[in-house]
Amino acid sequence: MTAWYQNLPLWVTAVPMLGALLLLLVPGTRRRVFELGALAITLIDFFVSIPLWFQYDRASAAVQWAFSVDWIPSLGVKFAIGMDGISLMLFLLTTFIGFIAVWCSFTSIEERHKEYYIWLLVMQFSMLGVFICQDMFLFYLFWELMLVPMYFLIAIWGGPQKLYAAIKLFLYTLAGSVLMLVGILAIYFLQKKAGLEPSFAIERFHAMAPFIAQQSKNFQILLALAFFIGFAIKVPMFPFHTWLPDAHVQAPTAGSVILAGILLKMGTYGFVRFLLPMMPDATRTLLPWFLTLTLIGVIYGALVAMIQKDMKKLVAYSSVSHLGLCMLGLFAMNPNGITGGILQMINHGISTSGLFLIVGIVYERRHTRMIADFGGLSKAMPIYATVFMIMTMSSIGLPGLNGFIGELAILMGAFQAQPWWAVAATSGIILGAAYMLWLYQRVMFGPINETNLKMKDLNAREIAYFLPLIVAAFWIGLRPQPVMNVLQKPVEKLVMQINPAFYQGQALTQLHREAAMKGQAGMIAPGHGSDHGAQSHGEVHGSEAEVHGGH
Amino acid sequence: MLMEPLAPAAVSTQVQASALWLIPFLPLFGAIVNGLYGLFCKATNRKAPDTKLVDAIALGTVAVAFLMSVYYFVTLMGRAPADRSITQTLWTWLDLGGARVMDGVTRTTISWAYKFDALSACMALLVTGVGFLIHLFSTGYMADERKDGRYYRFMAYLNLFVFSMLNLVLGSNILMMFLGWEGVGLCSYLLIGFYFDKEAAAIAGKKAFVTNRIGDFGFMVGFFLLFMIFGSLDFDTLMGSVREVALRPELTIFGVTKATTWWFNVAGIALFVGACGKSAQIPLYVWLPDAMAGPTPVSALIHAATMVTSGLYMITRLNFVYANAPLALSVVLAVGALTALVAASMGLAQYDIKKVLAYSTVSQLGFMFMGMGAGAYAAGMFHVFTHAFFKAALFLGSGSVIMACHHEQDMRNMGGLRTKLPKTFWSMLIATLAIAGIFPFSGFFSKDEILWKVFEGWHSGGHTLNLVAWLMGMAAAFMTAFYMVRLMVMTFWGEYRGGGHDPHGLRAPADPHHHDDHGHHDHGHGDHGPKEVAWTMWLPVAILAGLALVAGFLNIPHSLHWLGGSHFSEWIAPLLYQKEAVHAAHEAAPAIEYGLMAWATLVWAPGAMLLAWWIYKMDPSWGKAKAFVAKFPNLYRWVHNKYFVDEFYEWAFIGPCKQLGAQLWAFDAWVVDGIVNGAARVTILWSNLLFWFDARVVDGLVNLVAWLLQQLSGGFRKLQTGRVQNYALVMFLGFLVFAFWKFLA
Repeated sequence: MTAWYQNLPLWVTAVPMLGALLLLLVPGTRRRVFELGALAITLIDFFVSIPLWFQYDRASAAVQWAFSVDWIPSLGVKFAIGMDGISLMLFLLTTFIGFIAVWCSFTSIEERHKEYYIWLLVMQFSMLGVFICQDMFLFYLFWELMLVPMYFLIAIWGGPQKLYAAIKLFLYTLAGSVLMLVGILAIYFLQKKAGLEPSFAIERFHAMAPFIAQQSKNFQILLALAFFIGFAIKVPMFPFHTWLPDAHVQAPTAGSVILAGILLKMGTYGFVRFLLPMMPDATRTLLPWFLTLTLIGVIYGALVAMIQKDMKKLVAYSSVSHLGLCMLGLFAMNPNGITGGILQMINHGISTSGLFLIVGIVYERRHTRMIADFGGLSKAMPIYATVFMIMTMSSIGLPGLNGFIGELAILMGAFQAQPWWAVAATSGIILGAAYMLWLYQRVMFGPINETNLKMKDLNAREIAYFLPLIVAAFWIGLRPQPVMNVLQKPVEKLVMQINPAFYQGQALTQLHREAAMKGQAGMIAPGHGSDHGAQSHGEVHGSEAEVHGGH
Repeated sequence: MLMEPLAPAAVSTQVQASALWLIPFLPLFGAIVNGLYGLFCKATNRKAPDTKLVDAIALGTVAVAFLMSVYYFVTLMGRAPADRSITQTLWTWLDLGGARVMDGVTRTTISWAYKFDALSACMALLVTGVGFLIHLFSTGYMADERKDGRYYRFMAYLNLFVFSMLNLVLGSNILMMFLGWEGVGLCSYLLIGFYFDKEAAAIAGKKAFVTNRIGDFGFMVGFFLLFMIFGSLDFDTLMGSVREVALRPELTIFGVTKATTWWFNVAGIALFVGACGKSAQIPLYVWLPDAMAGPTPVSALIHAATMVTSGLYMITRLNFVYANAPLALSVVLAVGALTALVAASMGLAQYDIKKVLAYSTVSQLGFMFMGMGAGAYAAGMFHVFTHAFFKAALFLGSGSVIMACHHEQDMRNMGGLRTKLPKTFWSMLIATLAIAGIFPFSGFFSKDEILWKVFEGWHSGGHTLNLVAWLMGMAAAFMTAFYMVRLMVMTFWGEYRGGGHDPHGLRAPADPHHHDDHGHHDHGHGDHGPKEVAWTMWLPVAILAGLALVAGFLNIPHSLHWLGGSHFSEWIAPLLYQKEAVHAAHEAAPAIEYGLMAWATLVWAPGAMLLAWWIYKMDPSWGKAKAFVAKFPNLYRWVHNKYFVDEFYEWAFIGPCKQLGAQLWAFDAWVVDGIVNGAARVTILWSNLLFWFDARVVDGLVNLVAWLLQQLSGGFRKLQTGRVQNYALVMFLGFLVFAFWKFLA
């Protein structure tokens, strides 16, 4: 029996569920208990998850904290958990966003507090569950479970069209999940054909990759498409994205934060964890199609975001564009691109959650999200203006903030794979700057009217829940290396699964070190007697160099 | 199987300087302290921070950064030219894992590192030195903001700008440079939009940012390509390996094999697109004139002296790329010459004093690019420095004038300020002579050097493009001298036309779009006339003018060695790529060089100045200018409206982009989402249909069976009468039938 602290992922996942059960016992009228209780539970969850960061062995690509017991032996189902670096980062992101989502709800939720906070905790439980699974059956269970709390969060506490949005979200993503289930079962039964005892272990599914590659082309493509559509709806990729703006606009702020911060990452996580390593050949065959959709999504999302009149819808469409960028990184299928894609999932979780919180703040005060109703808010709300500016800059990828690191890595990876992808995607980034700054200008700058002048700046609670996001944004922007170290080995392993020959070739590190030693001495043409000394003849050489450099 | 992580690539033989990082970080510290403390005061409803304290922090940090730059500069001077480089690696910024590049596999490792060498030393001195003077000027110029609690924000932004600019020039790899590159863009955005409650300022800030983003797109593509070629972005590594790469006849990247120069050309042109954005060259220059909506010290610091020269710095830093990219250099030359000419012509017809200076800046930047395009990096860089002095002096001087005239920017409403602001006047006069290129002011040395190098490219190299560029440059130089004298005459000579006194009817018509860079109009200054400004304002201008006067002697051209002075081109020569070794001494200065110099400084520029003097000074009613405008109204209209380039961009790019967005939105709502909703509707319809089928057909069958049974049972029930007679009758009939059947059988 392992000590409990060696099995932290399990505990971190269980805390919100246990907390929810505890809150069930409290009478429904005691609002403050639910607010503070849920906050305490999520904060405890966050602090309990921090040791994982230190426990994780960065030198290994293996699944860590592995734990497994038999569950349904006759089907080969195990209760198997564990995480590698990729899961760990998203797991930590979930506990991080979790308490912020609770904290931002205190004043915006006016009714049925008990159910609300319990559903939030169940939501967190199911999302955490997805990231720790090492068994396909368990994974699918959590994957579907996620939909239930989100459905209720939107359908009860949402906007005017909440039922439409909630049902759309549920059915649309369910349709994708079911396709994925077909894919999972296909691989499950394929194991029999391969002469193996069928198992749902994710490890086994990865090990099936070479065998899948031997199957007929059509089978592979259908299988890849089943997974692709399942994940693409969740991401969401163009043209499967239309549930997203509806869900975001109707959801309460915390719902949007969770949706943007974590739920969308399930799709990209699915690509990293399943589609790419299990079906690299089929993915490569379908890559032109996937990429076309990805690039359309990047530019299309940005263009549509530009003309939105509703702030929340604008941010929702910007998500379509940004997640397109994530997908571009993953489809580059090289270390730079994949690292960038994963990092951008985290960055998007930070900056877009921040932007939804920002929209939520003004919505709470004015009960409108229309851009045209605002203007000049910087004057009334200087701290809000600063926070908004930082989140905007993070979202458009200003160097020094988190968004840049992800975008850079993605574009570098894409450029290495196929330069035109990167060039096309960059236009989406230019548009990104345009629509975000235009939004900022229309909301924060210009003359201010009487109503808006009365708007209150951020209070202590609001500053408190923005602060972690801002710190995270700067941290990843200035010192992303600790995060990179966590991702490095799993990404290398993934690249080896996709393309075993990637790392073969002449290693240039030593050459570069020598070149760096040489430095500016490399500017002097050979054959130049060093004894002349550049000092006395410098002018001559300098001007000669200029003349020769001319044409 | 996997590579070992390697130590940061910037490990270098040079001494690791322990305090170099303080040069950029001190201003950052100032920005953080001032900014956060100011915000804290706002959040807690306290009184805004004491402006004296803000000054002390903001100016103090920049001053110390300047002194440290001087210290390290002196350190460099004491070393042999080959050793003039100090690097300091703070931390590994990012390591994106392995990457396959042209020659093999590398690691994408980027350090947060600074490099202080001959080139960045000069830039650091410029940024901190001129930056300090402009900070000082701002303490006087932003007097109104001192009262209303926005002052801390301005100073924090300025400090943040200095930090970003120092990252740009001191960064030891392209990504650090890019960090600064974007950082200065952000500060420019924030400072242009400092008076954010004014719509025009907010729009101008956004325009600057987005236009720069278009440039950054090119910049990124450029350095991605360099990464593919070299496998590194570190300047030392690039410089150390470029010769070996450049010597190869062809390179294969992305499976495409092309000549080495082809790849260098592509990279060079892409990087130059970035330079066009930041340094306001055609076609991306449009943001700079609008950026004048920001406070005047900002225009001086960011939009004249430092930020807009980033493109030049970048090309000089990467001169080894351009030295191997002849086509890219030609593009630089052509764009530079065109910009120099077009922008100068736009400056001829502006009345806003800051707009004249803005176009002048664009034009002068064009000159610098011409120098780069001719391969004369040192000459181009030298013009960066002299221009920083005289243009900062002009901008700050114009700021003093604007303030003295109660935030009036239209030159038609000025005049006669010579006696009222004597110190400002003399400083600006020196700067005007410098920009016009009169010997021995600094502009003569830097501009003539550029034009000479361009000319030499035709004279001894035989490139027609150089001749064309040279002619354009000469025309632009003529216009420069003209519009500067026009500006000076309109502002300082004649009679003061403010305060209702306007004998010649020259005042500007009342303009609803008042191009005032200030948020306040209600000063209650009354009608007392303009006075000389405080020492904090005239002193920086005077110092800059003094520098504009003498800075030329920092780079005496080879042909004028007998003048003495020092030689900037020698100083940065170790950083310039030599194509081949040269042992022979430089040939004697040709007579033609002397001839051109004499022509430019004795005839050409003075001629333009005299022409302007004749038109605007000799004729106080500006009759000749008015007659000219009346004669060519369309020409004037085009020049005055900047050739309608903004309108063209709006029509050709921005409008269509928004329209496309709207169309896609409709597409999204009707088609993409329509399919989803359609699927739902079809499902509902189908289920209705099935429900009907279920109710009518499936259930109908069930009911039919029941009904049939019911009907049948109804018939049979009739038989169950309960009367014995009936049953007996049936029995009897049955017996009859049976008997009959038996009988037949």
